[in-house]
Amino acid sequence: MKKTATLGLFRGFLWEIIGTVFGVAFVTVVRMLMRLPAWKPEPAAVVGALFGALFFLYGVGVLDDWIKWANGEEAPEHVEDASLGWRRYFSVSLDHKVIGMQYLTLALILFAIGGMFALIFRTDLAQPMAQFLTPIEYNTLMSLHGIVMIIGILVGISAIMNYTVPLLIGANDMAFPRLNAFSFWIAVPAGVILLSSLFMGGFDTGWTGYPPLSLRAPLGIQMFFLGVSLSSFSSILSALNILVSVTRLRAKGMTPFRMPIFVWAAIATSVISMTATQLIGLAFQMSMLERLLGMGFFDPIKGGNPVLFEHLFWFYSHPAVYVFILPGLGIISELLPVFVRKPLYGYKWVAMSSLAIALTGFLVWGHHMFAAGMAEYLREPFMYSTLLVSVPTGVKFFSWVATMWKGKITFPSPMLFVLGGIVVFLLGGLSGPPNATVSTDLMLNNTYYIVGHFHDTLFGGYVFTLFAALYFWWPKMTGRRLNETLGKLHFWLMGPAMLVLTLVMMRVGLLGMRRRVYNYDTSLGLQPYHMVMTIAGFLIGLSVLIFFINIFITMKRGEIVTGNIWNSRSPEWQVPSPMPIHNYEKEFEVVGEPYDYGLPGSRYVKFQGED
Amino acid sequence: MVETKELPQTRRPSGLQLGFMVFVILAVLTAAEFMFAFFLNAWPLMALMAFLKGGLVLNYYMHFPRLFQADKDENRESFSYKLTTNRLGLWFFMLSDAFIFGGLLVSRFNLLALTRPQLNQFMGLTITTVLLISSFFANRAEVSMEQGNRRQAIISLSITIILGLAFLATVLFVEWRIAPFGPGDGVQGAVFYSMTGFHAFHVLTGIFFLSIVLRNLIRQRYSAEKHWGLEAAIVYWHFIDVVWIFFYPALYLIGTLPH
Amino acid sequence: MKHFIIIALLVIASTLAIHAGLNSIGLLPVLASAQGVSIDQLFGIYMWAIAFVFSLIMVTMLYSLFVFRRKKGETGEGTHFEGNNNLEVAWTAIPLIAVLYLAFLGARSLSETRRIDPSAMVVKVVAEQWSWQFQYPDYLFSSKDLYLPVGKQIDLQMTSLDVIHSFYVPEFRLKQDILPGRSVDLRITPTRLGHYTLTCAQLCGAHHADMVANVVVVSQADFLAWTQKEIASAPKDPVLIGQQLASLYGCAVCHSVDGSKKVGPTWLHLYSSSVPLSDGTKVNADATYLTNSIKNPNLQIVAGFSPNVMPDTFAQALTDTQIQNLIAYIESLK
Repeated sequence: MKKTATLGLFRGFLWEIIGTVFGVAFVTVVRMLMRLPAWKPEPAAVVGALFGALFFLYGVGVLDDWIKWANGEEAPEHVEDASLGWRRYFSVSLDHKVIGMQYLTLALILFAIGGMFALIFRTDLAQPMAQFLTPIEYNTLMSLHGIVMIIGILVGISAIMNYTVPLLIGANDMAFPRLNAFSFWIAVPAGVILLSSLFMGGFDTGWTGYPPLSLRAPLGIQMFFLGVSLSSFSSILSALNILVSVTRLRAKGMTPFRMPIFVWAAIATSVISMTATQLIGLAFQMSMLERLLGMGFFDPIKGGNPVLFEHLFWFYSHPAVYVFILPGLGIISELLPVFVRKPLYGYKWVAMSSLAIALTGFLVWGHHMFAAGMAEYLREPFMYSTLLVSVPTGVKFFSWVATMWKGKITFPSPMLFVLGGIVVFLLGGLSGPPNATVSTDLMLNNTYYIVGHFHDTLFGGYVFTLFAALYFWWPKMTGRRLNETLGKLHFWLMGPAMLVLTLVMMRVGLLGMRRRVYNYDTSLGLQPYHMVMTIAGFLIGLSVLIFFINIFITMKRGEIVTGNIWNSRSPEWQVPSPMPIHNYEKEFEVVGEPYDYGLPGSRYVKFQGED
Repeated sequence: MVETKELPQTRRPSGLQLGFMVFVILAVLTAAEFMFAFFLNAWPLMALMAFLKGGLVLNYYMHFPRLFQADKDENRESFSYKLTTNRLGLWFFMLSDAFIFGGLLVSRFNLLALTRPQLNQFMGLTITTVLLISSFFANRAEVSMEQGNRRQAIISLSITIILGLAFLATVLFVEWRIAPFGPGDGVQGAVFYSMTGFHAFHVLTGIFFLSIVLRNLIRQRYSAEKHWGLEAAIVYWHFIDVVWIFFYPALYLIGTLPH
Repeated sequence: MKHFIIIALLVIASTLAIHAGLNSIGLLPVLASAQGVSIDQLFGIYMWAIAFVFSLIMVTMLYSLFVFRRKKGETGEGTHFEGNNNLEVAWTAIPLIAVLYLAFLGARSLSETRRIDPSAMVVKVVAEQWSWQFQYPDYLFSSKDLYLPVGKQIDLQMTSLDVIHSFYVPEFRLKQDILPGRSVDLRITPTRLGHYTLTCAQLCGAHHADMVANVVVVSQADFLAWTQKEIASAPKDPVLIGQQLASLYGCAVCHSVDGSKKVGPTWLHLYSSSVPLSDGTKVNADATYLTNSIKNPNLQIVAGFSPNVMPDTFAQALTDTQIQNLIAYIESLK
């Protein structure tokens, strides 16, 4: 028990409880002093949850060094103690590799939860009339599925970027290790608060939380607003750290166009994450204030404008989808050369295409509002800007195919997932232009077609590529290789199931089935399609279960690998696996191009002391 | 040959005189924008003045150009290398934070268009002046520290904090009391209290950081060469001032009163 | 070279096959509006584009993966080449031109859907959680079903009483979100007789899924017959009509009828009472005052209430007769 008590996570949760109680008491006392009725659930819940999160951060220990600095004391650079074993992962660690794996664990937990929500309501949807979920239960599960998966995606992106970027640029850690730890740990109470909405009455607005509906939703919506606001800090600060690290800590000789291509993807992603994310925080905080203090931002009864919320919300939430996919597209570009044994085609163009997608991504948010009643003169410009995003995206696809051309190709699990990502993302991308065009979008908006479109783009751009990255770097993280047979099984189950699921979604959407409905008319004749979608969903779940089993088996008796099993030119593979605790004992210098596979005598990096 | 009095290349030669000159120009510009608001209420002119004032603070008080100076010490472990890295981090943080205030400005114009809330102009001008003077003293504190004058730095920093508290108290306990509307009173209330509220929250955190730094300054934790904490808190304070440079005309000067 | 010939043939075959396949399964519901014609044409173009681009990339990719796979026992790396700027420019410029052209087609299609027929018939749509009401101002009755005459442009003027809803009939193709506190416009020219279903397409709370209404498109003659029937069975009493309007337009959200104070003044005992205004004066709540309060709510504010709260859209949304009916209802609450 004593040993558990020393775990940061446990202490954090303990303090979170204390903080919540303190927050509730604080609000009650203030209300009494203001001569208002003392007990009101909503402000008490919000302030309680907020204090809970702050006290969690104190309890887990992530504020300790900063408190020392505030007191004018020194906080020495942490010495990582490998002998602590698994304990390191449950407490504050400043090692970016540990933080990356902490992020990954949280992401996988969130995906499992979000996925289970989907399986629950998909079971109900297999039959037209509602089976066992009440409408508000359905709406809550559907809304939470969306936001939990989104937060999971963001956390997972932080996992990949935090783990790999310092390794790829030759640094021994990120520029701000303590900020890095903070960015992870704030996501934990944020997730707890988000999920607590289930027990606070749920909410019926979808993850988009449009007012005036959100202003009338049950209390659960405040937990949704607060949870997302808190997790936004995780995204923002993590991105800040990446941008500073890449600017200041690159190895000698690593000019911008000699960086591994994934670093370009990380830069583009972080530019968006660091800036646009503030807007969803603002939109949600304004909604919270409207509910708590009656401030008339969005409710027409008070003279407010509901479309203003949509502008603020989508100004973040559109670029957010590029945050979701840019790292994954970077993974594809990063891994393809390794498995086709030749350079990435048009490296500079691929690098610039990530930036181009990020920048144009800021200019398209209005395409979510074509039917919303926004000013008419805005619709056409947003159509043009949205269609334009497909040009840099196309550059990537053509580059990937050209990279494969005349290669020497093998197909281990990471490569399968890379290829699957390309195919699924291609479908997602191609289903986009009808949405980008205003008149066709008026047919498609808020139907299952959109649901199919974004599941394809997310699965292709993020999920498949995440698994590709995990299968690829697992030996680097743990010193063991994930089971190849299970990996292939995972892929061949997930790939076809995903394709079937999303193609059927687009089919029923084109036929006019709208989204976010807990039941649908039997006379539409769509029930067979829904049954197929439900089965496909379960198959996807099964494939992920196989992946989790793979992790457990590998932990116990996976194949131990210490060397460069992929024969990669990348610096992290030139040192033993698992990655040494301080990354690179000897510094390296970049002396060639990253992807010159097949060029005799070429080297990418040269370590100190090598000839 | 050993140079005894060398100004480190990472610091611009920003003397006390330069700080005072910048303050005078800011004061003149503020008076000008107040006049223009009454005699020539054109929002492009207001915006231009705000950008001019903001540009001055960004360049001379916040030392934006320092970001682009070459590293004089390539050693990653050196204090000067880490100092530049820290500065970059702070600027990115402020860039990110600016998006919140940008979103609030967008909301203000979406909800109120070219009308403005009914506010006390004398109070508005007063608190703007207080904040501007506090920035002057903040700059004075930083320059004094760079020149090794710890005593002057303590005095100037203390005045900054007092003025900051005065700003906060006036907004919360005077402006918010005398406003003819409450937070729940339609779009006027929503816009006014949210903009001043978010800004006041940042002023509060700014005072908090300045106080921590003052305490450490008194306990002699900083030197002319190493005072990153002081610099950071002060640059953050100037950032809050720049936000107000845009919020003040947006709330008090641009637009006409609704009928 | 032979690679490219094989790939080209496969791409053409694949494009044709995919396009044929997509067409054969009937992707869209039957088309029932004039506005949808350009939309379906655009969908047709997109199906070709999607089939082609998908084939182009997939065929080339699968071909490469097969032909250039590492065979058993093979050593060595891939052929080393890094890129070709001309090719990059080409595959940037050609898609750029293509999407600009598609955007141009989209703009043209959009303006076709927004053509205004000055003789369009106005139907007012009131959406609320979770039901629909349709008002026919030219005929002075309201209905739960949306009856429409074929071949005539309908100007749907829509408002919501609470949250954001959305008007969506898949066969009509167009969709329009309905906002509270505002009137939004959508023009539909039905071109096909039949029964359709109107569904709300913006999540509006627990029973969003159940918010449906019948849409019936009939011949012009049958439509007139239906209107006669509805007029005959509509209430004649101005007080009852007024009460219906008050419920339809959500007056009760802000004005109680039992004396309790809400966002706006209560209607109980309002008619002919002496009303204190915010400027200190008093006014008699007669028909003139009440009419002005509905049409121009911010001219005179009752003491103790706030300006800029009551929507000023009722002057546009209600006819004079409707306002008279409302006042008759208010009078009945003396």
